[in-house]
Amino acid sequence: MNSTGHDSGTEHAHHDHDHDHEGPGYTTPQAAIEESEPEELAYVMGLYVGTDIDAPDFLAVVDLDPDSATYAEVVDRVEMPNRGDELHHFGWNACSSSCHVGGLERRHLVIPGQRSSRIHVVDTKDRRDPELEQIIEPEEVFEEDLSAPHTVHCIPGGQIVLSMLGDPDGELPGGFLELDESDFSIDGRWDPPGEIEMNYDFWYQPRRNVMVSTEWAAPETYYPGFDLDDVEAGKYGRQLHIWNWEEKTVEQTIDLGEEGMIPLEVRFLHSPVSTHGFVGAALSSNVFNFHQVETTPGDGPGRYAAEKVIDIEAREHEDWDMPVPGLVTDLLVSMDDRYLFFSNWLHGDVRMYDVSDPMNPRFVDRIWAGGHFGPDHPIEGERKVVGGPQMLQLSLDGERLYWTTSLFSSWDEQFYPEEGELGSVMLKADVDPRRGSMTLDEEFLVDFGEMPAGPARAHEIRWPDGDCTSDVWQ
Amino acid sequence: MGPDGGPGDDGDGPPHRLELERADGSGTTTVTARAAETVLEAAERADTHIPFGCRTGACATCTAELLSGTVEHRREPRALKPRHREAGYVLTCIAVPTADCRLRVGSDVAGELTENPWR
Ligand code: FES
Repeated sequence: MNSTGHDSGTEHAHHDHDHDHEGPGYTTPQAAIEESEPEELAYVMGLYVGTDIDAPDFLAVVDLDPDSATYAEVVDRVEMPNRGDELHHFGWNACSSSCHVGGLERRHLVIPGQRSSRIHVVDTKDRRDPELEQIIEPEEVFEEDLSAPHTVHCIPGGQIVLSMLGDPDGELPGGFLELDESDFSIDGRWDPPGEIEMNYDFWYQPRRNVMVSTEWAAPETYYPGFDLDDVEAGKYGRQLHIWNWEEKTVEQTIDLGEEGMIPLEVRFLHSPVSTHGFVGAALSSNVFNFHQVETTPGDGPGRYAAEKVIDIEAREHEDWDMPVPGLVTDLLVSMDDRYLFFSNWLHGDVRMYDVSDPMNPRFVDRIWAGGHFGPDHPIEGERKVVGGPQMLQLSLDGERLYWTTSLFSSWDEQFYPEEGELGSVMLKADVDPRRGSMTLDEEFLVDFGEMPAGPARAHEIRWPDGDCTSDVWQ
Repeated sequence: MGPDGGPGDDGDGPPHRLELERADGSGTTTVTARAAETVLEAAERADTHIPFGCRTGACATCTAELLSGTVEHRREPRALKPRHREAGYVLTCIAVPTADCRLRVGSDVAGELTENPWR
């Protein structure tokens, strides 16, 4: 049944518009905005790790088609074969960075287990009924002296790179693992060992020959939960690493200082010529802009500078002894590079800034939903929301912002103990890019509390035709 | 070697009786650990679910409280701080019983290791 007049999506594995390029994705960010259809489904991580529910984590397929009878419901789940994975972030085998490479399809999801170090490959040829195709077992990962896979980016040339946060013992240093897209085998380490100690997220801008990576901590430090003693002992990160993309070497390390504690998600602007990007410092609750300030001889990335451009004030709460930090846990940039969105997971708001001038973001709107200061029931008559806005995803046209509420199972337990019992939700805002405003969509709430095995946590969100946090252009 | 002997049961040392008491109050299960087997391995062989994550002693997802008996960690329990070890917490993924044991298990136990530091 297809009442919207476009393909309902079970068959086509890539969008079918008129371009002369052969590979996956879109030729430019502007093409992604203009040529994409509204997303009809989302893939969302669902998890049980760390709870008493005897079930493995899963990939959820969420119906996003407002004309469908199952709108805002989990319509399919791909269960992983093992328990204990903590599925966290995931990515595509190919993106717009390979849009010139014929024969490649954006079709396989690479889904790592953060705690288990197991890597799953899911085939989404049938979008509404994806299938688990392959598994890389933890032992194979440990052989590369790495563990705790995090961000997955496809890179030009049919390779996939994963940031890895630790060594096989869950200690430092981390590094990067490279997979071969043709058979999803481990190619080895992407980086020469010894370039970095801590790792977390990364984003690359190939035309500028630059990659930026961030820092969380050693897995053994963050896995059990957050402890201020570890912060005082210097076990949490506060640095950005500027890499020579071609050479795979760190050219510069920027210490963000006290105001840049725990720099997590990092996003370059989508324009392949831009050297501007943003990173959210979770613990210090600030957003930094970084950009190239100097070219250097040769074709290296040049010299970069980072500057705090948004500061979230901690707030007094009657039940807390100390002011509550916002905790900026995720951020993203709209495909037209005009707006920055980020979440304050502890406060409970998601914010929208105009970044037309990326050094001077201008606050335009926000939505309160859950968290420690937002409404428990942001949608009247709907279930209680525990946890604040966390992982974000934005439609390619910039008009629909979605988010989930779980951060990391052990950290959820600490800050929102109720979330394990009630499960996460996925919410949505309608965005007006022209006016720079957002409205909570009161018709949309996906209840991960209602899963067959019991309440689940929900984490990162992706859709088949590309999204604002996985596509890079050459 | 017992009737359920198989790979991993090297037969040296007696099996140990493990009472796994659920922290959420849902009851107690008794399983038998073969020689050199961890608490988690023994529970899994008996089809008894207890939480785990990394299986290498780094994540604390499998934390249990040792109420009686003794265990030896196969390797450094890196996810536990000295204060946790002193309080009797063990990691079931790397803890090998050296006597009959009673353990408090379940996800609530790992949750006791950290609290909201601002509250
Ligand atoms: S499962 Fe990670 S410490 Fe035991």
